[in-house]
Amino acid sequence: MLARIREHLAASAPFDRVHQASLAMHEVGQTSREVEPSTSRGLIDLFRESLEAVNGNCTIVADEAEAAASLKQVIELNNLQRVAVSDSPIVGRLMQRTDSTAEVLSNAEPEALFNCDGGITSAQWGIAETGTLVLETKSERHRLVSLVPAMHIAILAGDRIFGTMSEALAAVSTAGELSRTVTFITGPSRTSDIELTLAIGVHGPARLHVIVIEDVKQTV
Amino acid sequence: MDLQTQTTETFDENARRALVDPQLRSALRKLTVTFGERRAQAIGSVDDWEGLRERARAIKDETLSHLDKYLADFADKAERAGAQIHWADDGKDVCELIIRLLQERNAKQVVKSKSMATEEIHLNAALEAAGITPVETDLGEWIIQLAHETPSHIVVPAIHKSKKQIADLFVEKLGIEPTDDVDRLTSAARRILRQRFAEADAGISGVNFGVAETGSILILENEGNIRLTTGLPKIHIALMGIEKVIPRFADLDVFLKLLPRSGTGQRLTAYQSIITGTKKSPGDEGPEEVHIILMDNGRSRMLAHPVTRQSLACIRCGACLNACPVYQQIGGHAYGSVYPGPIGAVITPQLIGIKKAAQLPYASSLCGACREVCPVKIDIPELLLHLRAQIAEGTAITTEAPPRKALESFAFRMYAFAWSRPWLYELGGRVLRVLQRPAVRDGRIGKAGKLMSKLMPPLGAWTAWRDARPLAPRSFREMWRADNQQRG
Repeated sequence: MLARIREHLAASAPFDRVHQASLAMHEVGQTSREVEPSTSRGLIDLFRESLEAVNGNCTIVADEAEAAASLKQVIELNNLQRVAVSDSPIVGRLMQRTDSTAEVLSNAEPEALFNCDGGITSAQWGIAETGTLVLETKSERHRLVSLVPAMHIAILAGDRIFGTMSEALAAVSTAGELSRTVTFITGPSRTSDIELTLAIGVHGPARLHVIVIEDVKQTV
Repeated sequence: MDLQTQTTETFDENARRALVDPQLRSALRKLTVTFGERRAQAIGSVDDWEGLRERARAIKDETLSHLDKYLADFADKAERAGAQIHWADDGKDVCELIIRLLQERNAKQVVKSKSMATEEIHLNAALEAAGITPVETDLGEWIIQLAHETPSHIVVPAIHKSKKQIADLFVEKLGIEPTDDVDRLTSAARRILRQRFAEADAGISGVNFGVAETGSILILENEGNIRLTTGLPKIHIALMGIEKVIPRFADLDVFLKLLPRSGTGQRLTAYQSIITGTKKSPGDEGPEEVHIILMDNGRSRMLAHPVTRQSLACIRCGACLNACPVYQQIGGHAYGSVYPGPIGAVITPQLIGIKKAAQLPYASSLCGACREVCPVKIDIPELLLHLRAQIAEGTAITTEAPPRKALESFAFRMYAFAWSRPWLYELGGRVLRVLQRPAVRDGRIGKAGKLMSKLMPPLGAWTAWRDARPLAPRSFREMWRADNQQRG
């Protein structure tokens, strides 16, 4: 196939010269940043605003103690009976401090996940301009916990929120080996396939709640 | 309406039938207005949209002019990461390969996420013939699979169906309680398809972008069915057209800004999955095997000319469909191809041979709306004219050229002859102004015009749907000369 591609490209060479000569080539414009770099606090607020605009929920808390309380509240308010947790250390710590009545499954097999109504993971990065979570599988086993249960609760450190997608792409591709799967999540699962009417929660989680911890370092 | 009989060869007939289908017309109105507005709003959140389009096109041009190198790089990097790469010349090769991979692993149940490439090669029919059950999991694709239809739009495949029709279909095929609530229909789909996901032996997906630098594939979606298809079963097979490769990981940024905004008017779709190879460690979640099939199926020959080559820059956003005054009236099925609308009118003839799709390059008024909205600046009108010229001249790129349009070719040669000689052009104008006199009534060519077109039948093809306008009493050149003389 590569030989055929080369042959066709070679056949095009004379046309290309004519084509290029007749084209006033435009200067390739540089895209400017959508969001000016700003303070961590500004990025957290923008993250929440963007996430809420796509039907996600967001709670901003100061430290892990507040995060544990918030997590308990989210589990209870959403009446979750059985939650699966990823192997993230911070999720483990928070669950220890969360005396909720829900049954908790660690290392759940895919079949078991289908019977969970909540999945709790952390996220490696956030993107403020779109309210996006970035999940890297080299850091955590969260590919299915964040996807199969009807509700996804994610823990995100405030100092890991970037302004833009471009910064997040650089972060996942430069810090060591690229994960097997990098997943970007922006709000709950959605579809407009029936008469363009928005329906939330078709295959993935119908609810997404992100708890942003402003200062993780203080509590570690 | 029987969709099976609508082919590229019956385009005129298909279009006429679509025009008298009020339900289709109202669905199309809603689609084009809604997507048009959402897109306009979404591109407002980028401050240099034009610059972004220029960059995307430059990246695509760079890739396509060195496609051999970037494909080889992609294959090498993906294999190093643990994916298995297969090269397929055409649709038949792809179907045979996928069936062999599945049969060797005794896989009978397959979940599929939306992929126009698999639609293009009619993979589902081939799988079924081999005793394998493919289940479409994108809601729109699943609806049309249940209805035994074909997609009418590349982003929202079931847009031609009303909520009522879908509800009736679900009652008939799935035995649900009658409802007119979209949320209920959606949750019925969720419930039933979850069982299919749980029992699937393999998942088949498409690819939006393949990154040569890292061997990664990126797939965008809103529903989560792609994450399930590529994450749950033991085997993942991804079908990728050879034009999907881009050079660098950082280039994804440009396309992630352009594609959701152009396609659905979103700043970003709900999910993007970037998949690089297989397990990196024993605990790594996901399929044991990842197969990526690089498919040509008529694409590489488009490289042989800069005009046709730009067809391969398409990122399948569907914006040109929504913007096209022809698509807006007739919808997708009339094109008789999985790729409808302006982009379909240029790639279908190149993929299946211009002889079988000779009407499609004429399904356009050349208004240029498609070119305006295209996120990678494909000059679709230029492509349409290029293909029309090939049809008229009988020099189509494929071996199966349709019969040459000798009369049209002759007429345009005469036209070019006259227009390139000012004296002849002016003389012609004067003669025509005298000749048209008996036919002009109230500034229009009246009944006598119809008579003229009867005497010269080819003109009738034009005047059947349009007014023939008379020439102005004085030409611009005459007015210019008179004006200059006055100023003396």
